[in-house]
Order: sequence, then C-alpha cells, then structure tokens
Amino acid sequence: MNLPDFQLASHLIVLLATLMLVVQLLMVTQRMLITNIRLFAVQSLFLSGIAAAVAFFHHAPHVYFMAALTLAGKVVVLPWFLKRLVRKIGIEQEMHPWINPPTAMLLCGGFTLLGYLVARPFADTGNLGSNTFGVAIALVLMGFFLMINRRRAITQVLALLCAENGLFLAAISLTTYGMPLVVELGVFFDLFIAMMVLGILVYRIRATFASIDVDRLNQLKG
Amino acid sequence: MEGLPMLLLTLTLWGYVIGALAGLLCWQREKLANLLSFGSATLAALGGLGASVVCLVGDATSFSIRWDFLESAVPYLKFSVRLDPLSAFFLLIVSSLGLALSIYSFGYARGFYGRTKVGVLGAFYNALLLATTFVFIADNAFFFLVSWELMAMTAYFLVTFEHEQPEARHAGVLYFIMSHIGTGCIILGFLLLFQASGGYGFIGFHALGERMSAGRRDAAFLLFLAGFGVKAGIVPLHIWLPAAHPVAPSNVSALLSGVIIKSGIYGLTRVYFDFLGTPPLWWGVTLLVVGSVSALLGVLYALMDHDLKRLLAYHSIENIGIILMGLGAALMFQHANHPLLGAMALIAGLYHTINHALFKGLLFLGAGAVQHAAHTRNMEELGGLIKRMPRTAFFFLIGAVAISALPPLNGFVSEWLTYQSLLQGFGATGSLTRLIFPISGALLALTGALAAACFVKAFGITFLAQPRSVQAERAHEASPTMLAGMALLAVACVFLGLFPNQFLPLFDPLTDQLLGVQISRQLAAPGGIVLSSLGLEAGTVSTLGITLTAVCLLPIPLALWIFFGRAAARQTGMTWACGQKTLTPQMQYTATGFSKPLRIIFKALFRPHRAVQAEFEFSPYFARTIRFESHIEETFEARIYRPLQRFILRTSRRMRALQAGSLQAYLIYIFVTLLLLLILTL
Repeated sequence: MNLPDFQLASHLIVLLATLMLVVQLLMVTQRMLITNIRLFAVQSLFLSGIAAAVAFFHHAPHVYFMAALTLAGKVVVLPWFLKRLVRKIGIEQEMHPWINPPTAMLLCGGFTLLGYLVARPFADTGNLGSNTFGVAIALVLMGFFLMINRRRAITQVLALLCAENGLFLAAISLTTYGMPLVVELGVFFDLFIAMMVLGILVYRIRATFASIDVDRLNQLKG
Repeated sequence: MEGLPMLLLTLTLWGYVIGALAGLLCWQREKLANLLSFGSATLAALGGLGASVVCLVGDATSFSIRWDFLESAVPYLKFSVRLDPLSAFFLLIVSSLGLALSIYSFGYARGFYGRTKVGVLGAFYNALLLATTFVFIADNAFFFLVSWELMAMTAYFLVTFEHEQPEARHAGVLYFIMSHIGTGCIILGFLLLFQASGGYGFIGFHALGERMSAGRRDAAFLLFLAGFGVKAGIVPLHIWLPAAHPVAPSNVSALLSGVIIKSGIYGLTRVYFDFLGTPPLWWGVTLLVVGSVSALLGVLYALMDHDLKRLLAYHSIENIGIILMGLGAALMFQHANHPLLGAMALIAGLYHTINHALFKGLLFLGAGAVQHAAHTRNMEELGGLIKRMPRTAFFFLIGAVAISALPPLNGFVSEWLTYQSLLQGFGATGSLTRLIFPISGALLALTGALAAACFVKAFGITFLAQPRSVQAERAHEASPTMLAGMALLAVACVFLGLFPNQFLPLFDPLTDQLLGVQISRQLAAPGGIVLSSLGLEAGTVSTLGITLTAVCLLPIPLALWIFFGRAAARQTGMTWACGQKTLTPQMQYTATGFSKPLRIIFKALFRPHRAVQAEFEFSPYFARTIRFESHIEETFEARIYRPLQRFILRTSRRMRALQAGSLQAYLIYIFVTLLLLLILTL
C-alpha cells in the first residue's frame, strides 16, 4: 500500500466518523421517533462506509462481509422493523426527556472531550483510522446517555444500537481488521435477539400498563 | 487392633443411617417407628462405645486409624475418617450419652403418640447422632464442614420439632442465624489453614501454626474461637442456647446440651492443640478469661431462671466456661513449656467435658420426665414431686450433686483437677499474667458455690414440699425405659466420681498425641484410690476415701440417736407449720423468693424490674386485685444484640433506596461507574 492511498483512506475514515458523531448529536436533540430511526439508519450507513473503506485498503474480505452485514442489518432491516413497530403502537414523539436538549448537547460535548482525552494514548498507533477511537468512545457514552435520558422503550433500544455502533467503530480503530468475525457475528446475533425481545416486550408492556413508558416498570418491584 | 474399631465404627454409622431411614419409612406406624429407630440408635451407640473403648484402653501410645468411608468425586472433599485418641474420646462421649438417651427415648417418645410423628423424631434423632459422630471423626476440612452443617440442620429441625409453638419457631430461627455466623467464621479459619498447608486433610494441618505468620495465626485463633464458641455457647455468643435447648424434646435437649455444644470444645481442642502449634501467651489468657466470665454469668442467669430446662441450659454455659478454663490453662502451660501441667489442665477440661455430658444429660432426662408427667417446665407450678416420682427425684438428685461439684461424684473430680492446675499455675509461670490463675480460681470457687445454691433451688422447689398446681399433683412416675436411661447415666456419674484413677489412663494416648506426655501414673497416687495433682505434696484427694469414711462414720449418729434420741419425749407435728393447723402451697418458698438475695447482690448485672399494680375497693387496706410483675433485664440481648439488629435493619433500609426499580436509575449507576473509571484512567 502506498502512502497517498493511506492518507486518502485515513481522511475518508475521519470524515465518515465525524459525520457519525454529528448524526448522533442530532439524535440527542431530536424528539420525533421516526426521524430518530432514520438518523440511526444514516449513522449505520456511514459506519458501513468506514468498514468498507478499511476492507478496501487492507484487502480484507471478511471486513467486506461485516460492512455488508451492517448495511443489510442496521441500515435496512432494523429501521424497517422499528418503523413498523412505531406505526403499530401509534406513538410519534418521545416524552419529555429528563435533561433538556441544550444541556444535553453541552453534556455530549463534554463526553466527546472525555472520549478524546481517554483515547490519546491510542491515537498514534499507526493503524488505519486509529485517530477515530475518541469518536468511538464518545459514541458509546452518548448512546448510554441517550438511554438514560429517554423514557420510551423503543428509543432506549435505539440508543443501545447507537452505542453498539460506537463499539464497532472502536473495534475498527483499535485493531487492523476489526474484531474477529466470530465476535462480530455474535454481537449481531445479540442485537437480533434484543430486537425480538423488544418486539414482544413493547406489546406486553403496553398491554399491561397501557403505556410503553419505562418509568412505570418500577411498579413491578416487590 | 486396627480391624475391630473400624468394623465397630462402620456398624455404628450404618446403624444410625438405618435408624433414620426406618423412622421415616414407618412413620405411619408409631410403635414400630419408635422401636426401630431408637432400637437401631441404641445398638449403633453401643457399637460406637465399643470402638472408642477398644481404642482408648488397648494401647497407651497414640494411635491413628484412617480410612475412606465413601469414595468422593469432588476434588479436595474426601470422605475420610480417622480415629485418633482425641476423636475416640469424643466418640466415647457421644456414644455413651447416645446409648442412655436412646434407651430413655423408647418411653419418652410414647408421649408423642397421636400428637406428632414419632418416626420423624426418631429419624432426625438418628441423623443428629450420625452427623455428630462424623464431626468427631472427620479427617478432612470439607468433610468436617459438611458434617458440621448437617449437624446444625438436624439440630434445627429438632429444636423446631414442636413447631406449633411460636416459642420453638423463634428459638429455631435464632439458633439458625447464630449457627451460621459461627460456621462462617469456621470456614474462614479453615481457609487460612488451607493457604498455609495447600490441602484440606487434617493430617496436613498438624502443627501447621509453626509455618504460618503470626498475624494469620492470631486471626485463625480468633475466628475459630468465635466459630466454635457460638456452638459451645460462650458468653456473649450464648444467646441461642437458653432459647433453643428448652423447647426441644427432652431427649434432644440432653443431646444438645451434652454433646452438640461439646462439638465446639472438640473443634477448639483439635485446632488449638493439634493444628496451631505452640501458642502465644495471650491465647491462653483469652480462653481463661472467656471461660471464667462464661462460668460466672452462666450460673448467675441460671439462678434467676425458673424454667427448669432453661435453668439447665444456662448451667451448660457455666460448665462450658469451666471446660474452657481448663483448656486456657493448658494453653498457657504449653506456652510456658510445662507439658506436665499442661496435660493436667487439658485432662481437667476434657474430664469435665465428659462429666458434663453425663450429668447434664441425666438432669435433662430428669427434667424431661418431670415435663412429661406434669406438663409444665415452670418451677413455680411444680413441687412435691418426690412423693409422686421418687425414682426420678433420686436420679435428678444425683445429677444435681454431680453438677454442684460435691464429692464424691464426678463433677467434683474434674473441678478439683481444674482448681489444682489453676493454683499450681501461679507458682509455675513467671510474668505478671500469672495473677490471672488465682483470680479465675476464685471465680471458679464462686461459680461452684452459686451452682450448688442453684441446684438447691432446682431440686427443692421442683421435688420437695407441696405441689403448687393441679398438674403437679397428678404427676406420675416415669416409665421403666426412661428410668433405665437415667439410671445408666447416674451409674456413670458415680463411677467417674469414685474411680477416677481407673478412668484416667484413657487420657494417656490423648495427652501423648497432643502434648507428648502421659501423666495418669503421676496423677494416681500409690495405692490406687488417691488422686494427686502431680505429686503427693502438691495436693491429693480421694473420693472413694471420703465415701468410705462417711460410711464408716454413719454408725456414730445412729448410735447417738439410739442412745439419746429414743429416750426423749416425742411430739409429731407438721414440718415448718409454725403452729398453724394447715399448710397451703401458697405458704411455700418460691423459686423467685429463694433467689431474691442473689438478685439484690448482683443488682448491677440483673437490673431487676418490678411493678405492683393494685386496685382498691374502698380503702387502701382492702385490695381487690393486685398485679405483681418482676423480671430481670436480659443484658446481652438488650445491650448487644438488639442495637446490632437495629443497626442492620436501618442500614439495609437505607441501602434499599438504591434498589429503586427504575430502569433509568440502574442505567445511571452503570453510566456513572463507567465515567468514573474512564476519568480515573486519565
């Protein structure tokens, strides 16, 4: 691999990672459920772009496979499934979040800073895309934060998926070829199961509490 | 020599197993269950007795027979049993008491016919004996703990056997909690030993203390003291004992007080003398202090209690204290490198262990017969039973004399040995800590006197004078098997009292194993009937001699009476009637009244509380009703356990706020932890 190629790839990956971060910030402020799902699809698209770029520059076929899996799973199938779920339940908006959007944006800025600070020792390992590790940590933290800040079960799962995207990015940025294929497949399978459970659970919660607001779950406590 | 004890012991273990199974299988046919389970237990106990006697009598040197009882697939856990002198000695205790109790139980269990399931009682009774036997012969820390827990569990089921009564359930829960605290300490102690030895076999633990660092050794000492102390019932870990022992069926109470609490003594002896090596001075001092305090407080609380069985339970605390005094003195002598004195103190402690098993068993059986006949344990409702159950009264009296350490019975012999070792300790050791010997000797003397006072009360109020209730009036003599069980123990008490020199050689292999010396020849003075404390000039006593002298002197008062007494004019009146025509039970001395002087003397400890409420008709001289209430403070419950309980409840209530049931809250916990960890890495 010659040097200009490497730099080009590096620039491309950083660009895509930045876009992922921007999309994530948009999600933090966005309250419409459908828009949130679309934003997640866009973020996953960028992620699969990163994976494809890594695969292309390293000529690693199994990373291609991962990119394709991301594209199929997270860009097409999951958003379609979630949208259908949202339409069925008939809820369009997230309820009032705990923390209002401007403060949330500030906090997320803080997480990004923290991510970069933590990622500093790994920044110059020379891997392709190693400088995106900070973004990856920031994505994980923001996903977590989003999960806490939202009340609907669906948006919480969406937040979990975002955090998973962050993990995927971290795997790409820390190692040369991403995680081993088996691990990635396992993670995908986990997500698949999680979605199945969610699909069933959301109906159950609504049937029991006439709401899918997770606040009410504390009534289950003995 | 090896084959016979092994065979007998195997038969014993299987005997208990068969007894337990038989009890469960024929629980619908009460008589058959009674016969099979207790019959099996009788034979099994006989086998155990044979095995231990063959071992202890056969050879004076220390021996050790070891084999695997069952194959085990679990690593570290080996079902290996070993019969060494210490095990054999405790096997002797459990078997001899088990024999008497099983015979007694034939008659006693008949009282449960139609009320509760006799088969279940028999099954648990056998299981308890089996577990206790395993505790004494286990040769592996894991196996020991398994047996230990099995013993605790079966004892729990027996304590709550009459579970219709809330009292029994509460006592059971208390016992369960305390027992588990103790077991936790023991497990930690064994883990410390495991770290040093790398295995769980008891053989690998031998003299392990020399290879441990001082801190770990001290930690192990304290952990084992707390762990086995709970089971033994040392103050202040004793609170389960007066609650649990009275509510169990009486044959089980006798087993609990006679043997189960001795498993704590066995554990302490095994660990301190076999495992932990030469002790530092403060171990012995601690044990001696704990023993003295337990002895004194035990007897003081016993004096204040008017429940016959609870009184006996408090006396168990007292006697455990006396045993610990012997063990503590032995540890101090071991530190000072006086093996002979150490052996004497150890023998004193262990002699008292078997004595206490015998006479406390006897007393509990007597109390059980009383409860069986009069349906109450409250002494204030008893009285006059000596006329209705004379044989029971006689056996109870023998037990009372023995526990009060009056010559010539066995309690006297072991307490005399304890005194001797304490008194000689002052001269034999150097530092200022030797002052503790005469002090604890004085406390032992005080304890003995108070115990005698307490049994004057127990026997006098229960058996003498007039019955205080209808139930006591209708009491009847115990059945022949019950009397036979008591008689067996009474004979053993008399034998151990009159012939200590014949019994002491049994300790030779034991002291040889633990301390490397044999002193039964030094203790037995020439002539065979005089007991000396290591040399004639140090102090001697002969219980047989005292008895023979008393018998020889008997003609003198008889002659005096014949010569002078018959001549005098005689008038017969009612005893202590003070000229009154009739005596009613209300005029009798009550147990409360009898113990009043001591309640006043030890006011600081008991904090007696009394309240009188009276309603008057028209003038203060004519009361319509008077309500009198008097009780003493349960110091340890009120000062230690209740604050502790409140603290635990309060803390848990605060911690429960963490468990909000809100998903977000749980997420925040995780998130904050994650953030903190990330920030820490910066």
